[in-house]
Amino acid sequence: MATQAATAFSGNVKKALAGIKRINLDGLRWRVFDAKGQVLGRLASQLSIVLQGKDKPTYAPNRDDGDMCIVINAKDISVTGRKMTDKVYYWHTGYIGHLKERTLKDQMAKDPTEVIRKAVMRMLPRNKLRDDRDRKLRIFADGEHPFGDRPIEPYVMPPRTVREMRPRARRAMVRAQKKAEMQAQGGSDTRKNKKKEVEEEESA
Amino acid sequence: MMNKKEILKLAKGFRGRAKNCIRIARERVEKALQYSYRDRRTKKRDMRSLWIQRISAGTRQHNVHYGHFMHGLKKENIQLNRKVLSEISMHEPYSFKALVDISREAFPGNRHIYHRPRKVDMSITA
Repeated sequence: MATQAATAFSGNVKKALAGIKRINLDGLRWRVFDAKGQVLGRLASQLSIVLQGKDKPTYAPNRDDGDMCIVINAKDISVTGRKMTDKVYYWHTGYIGHLKERTLKDQMAKDPTEVIRKAVMRMLPRNKLRDDRDRKLRIFADGEHPFGDRPIEPYVMPPRTVREMRPRARRAMVRAQKKAEMQAQGGSDTRKNKKKEVEEEESA
Repeated sequence: MMNKKEILKLAKGFRGRAKNCIRIARERVEKALQYSYRDRRTKKRDMRSLWIQRISAGTRQHNVHYGHFMHGLKKENIQLNRKVLSEISMHEPYSFKALVDISREAFPGNRHIYHRPRKVDMSITA
């Protein structure tokens, strides 16, 4: 079945192929999402639309007709703002006082696929089809997947309008860029020497 | 509906004692009939919403929003209703494409619905 492609894939092949027998009706497409550089929530929103089958005109709410979604490069997902350190996942174990938490950074270090999986699962409607849809979603942290021999279609995300940077953020970014440039050019010179040099250049 | 036999006949398929015991079945059957009265009216709304979802999915495959599509059809005085349009979008893809093209001609704002991304991406990767 997928043995030739599986040898090139250096991950958990069993886990990746788990439960495929339970998904019937292989008139479905296999779509590949590249998560590199994508914003987390926007990618998850598109994934949930495709998983539910809402982009097909044959949508019916009582049966599950979504496509198989494969996500690669899950560790390169990006978030805006300070969410990398400040977004916290909470869960309660059931015992009194045991509210556990984990930040995005730690979760990415531990298991980057869980970040996308949680985001998508929380966007799907909570009904009896949710587990089947979860089975159709396969996420891989690296750039390879063992489904190379199936007919695969890459998914092009709809282009996104990014709003302008706020003035303070832009000034900070410009300053950081200049600092990086200066450090790259003259590493050993201290700031005062640099200033003197610049003044001499200006006067000369 | 006063007869015990009639009520228990209407209570077929209910959960637990509601299908067997008359006291419980009577309440549940009353509720079921109320729900069915209400839902005969909401069914019309739900079906229309489903047709609109299907039409929207079909037009987005051709890069047209549902709203623009309907506006173009109204302009061209095509009076197909949503039920028929959803059936066309499901079973007759080429005819549907023809309709989408008609609507696109009628409403030139449809040329390119996606906006260009204007500025630099400012997100943070891991």
